[in-house]
Amino acid sequence: MAPPTSARPGWSRRAQYSLFFSFLAAVAGLLVGLFLLALSLVAPNSYAAVRGAALDLTAPVTGALREGTTTIGGLFSGAGDYWDAANQNAKLKAERSAMQREILQARAIQQENRQLKAALQLREKTQQAVASGRIVGSSFQSQRRFAVISAGSGDGVVPGMPVRAADGLIGRVVDAGGTASRVLLISDQANIVPARLLRTGVAVISTGRGDGTVDVRPLEVGRNPFRPGDVIVTSGTGGLYPPHVPIARVVRLDDDGAIAIPLADPANVSFAIVEHPFEEAALAEPPETAETP
Amino acid sequence: MVRSALGRPGNALDRGPKKLARFIPAWSVAVASCLCMLPIVIQVGWFPDFGFLLLLAWRLLRGDVIPAWWAASLGLFNDLVTGGPIGLSVAIWTGAMILLDLLDRRTMWRDYWVEWGLAALLIFIHDAARWQIDGLMGAHSSFSTVVPSVVIAILVFPLAAWAASRIDRWRLGR
Repeated sequence: MAPPTSARPGWSRRAQYSLFFSFLAAVAGLLVGLFLLALSLVAPNSYAAVRGAALDLTAPVTGALREGTTTIGGLFSGAGDYWDAANQNAKLKAERSAMQREILQARAIQQENRQLKAALQLREKTQQAVASGRIVGSSFQSQRRFAVISAGSGDGVVPGMPVRAADGLIGRVVDAGGTASRVLLISDQANIVPARLLRTGVAVISTGRGDGTVDVRPLEVGRNPFRPGDVIVTSGTGGLYPPHVPIARVVRLDDDGAIAIPLADPANVSFAIVEHPFEEAALAEPPETAETP
Repeated sequence: MVRSALGRPGNALDRGPKKLARFIPAWSVAVASCLCMLPIVIQVGWFPDFGFLLLLAWRLLRGDVIPAWWAASLGLFNDLVTGGPIGLSVAIWTGAMILLDLLDRRTMWRDYWVEWGLAALLIFIHDAARWQIDGLMGAHSSFSTVVPSVVIAILVFPLAAWAASRIDRWRLGR
């Protein structure tokens, strides 16, 4: 179809004006968009209330849908479990006896550890959970890695708090609505976690890669300290994440670091636990309120 | 007898545009934005931006159903729902509409391949801009992480074009 040769809609002045004003409105919309974008780059906190409210509206929908899909998924996996029950039973029994032996060992080590810590007069705060919530959704349309959990400021969640699951570290809260909050996963490129290698204790840094894996590098340049299968745990440096929380398992080495897969897969963990920052000062607070006791 | 023939539901003579047919395209874009509420928890963000795809499809199907400045409010809605940086979709969506208005004066003809090419170009610009903004917000990554989502979005676009044409037929009662 041949397009009209000019943008004039005809001889009607009214039609010409309305076309012109709608063009002006579009340019104004573009400028407003650029202004909003600049504001969200310079002062990301200025939208906290709006983003929290939007999260409160969308998260219940996602949560309800998630409920349905897990029920359907559970039916299938449940049926699958019955299929192979005898084999699984034998395997689980073997695993259980192996684990019992390990638990006994761990208990002995724990007791020894407690005695040693008492001898050193080392004081450590016990971590208390603020809230726990289910992971209901994720940012599957963008390269940034976010997840939505069903716990919000009504449960005491504040942006900046670390989030973990039973398997390992999940990330930290970035937006908190009343009943839901958004979590920056450890696999996001903007999430940098101070960590160490569990086997040797070498200090490393874990950075997300945006594709579900994390990039781990030693702080000191030198020989590559990683081996495939190594487990990375948090070091507690920086005061945000509590120490000794498992982060990821190394799967591949590269020149001076390695690529690791997070131990807690947000798609599979049922509950995410929001904790207080390891040291309260790590929460980004305005300095005035922090220094007036 | 004639009367009963006219009154049968589904008869071609009964059908006409739906009420609020003018607003159905914009509504459908908003609904497509809401698809991000699906409970999908995955580790890679390779799904396309459904709202943007449907907006492009509508704009290429009919130039006048979504005025360019409506794209600003639709983009704001998309930003709020998806949790992206606020203002990003407002700027990109409105910019895409203005760009297509300008391109309409230059293109000599339109066919399926030209439309797909235009959509591919705009999808590429959209993802590259988002990648830049992510970098400015602290999430630096190589451009290769964006390539899969660009390719997927370009391949999914015909589906969006089909959806827009189906909704258009339903909306006009054809």
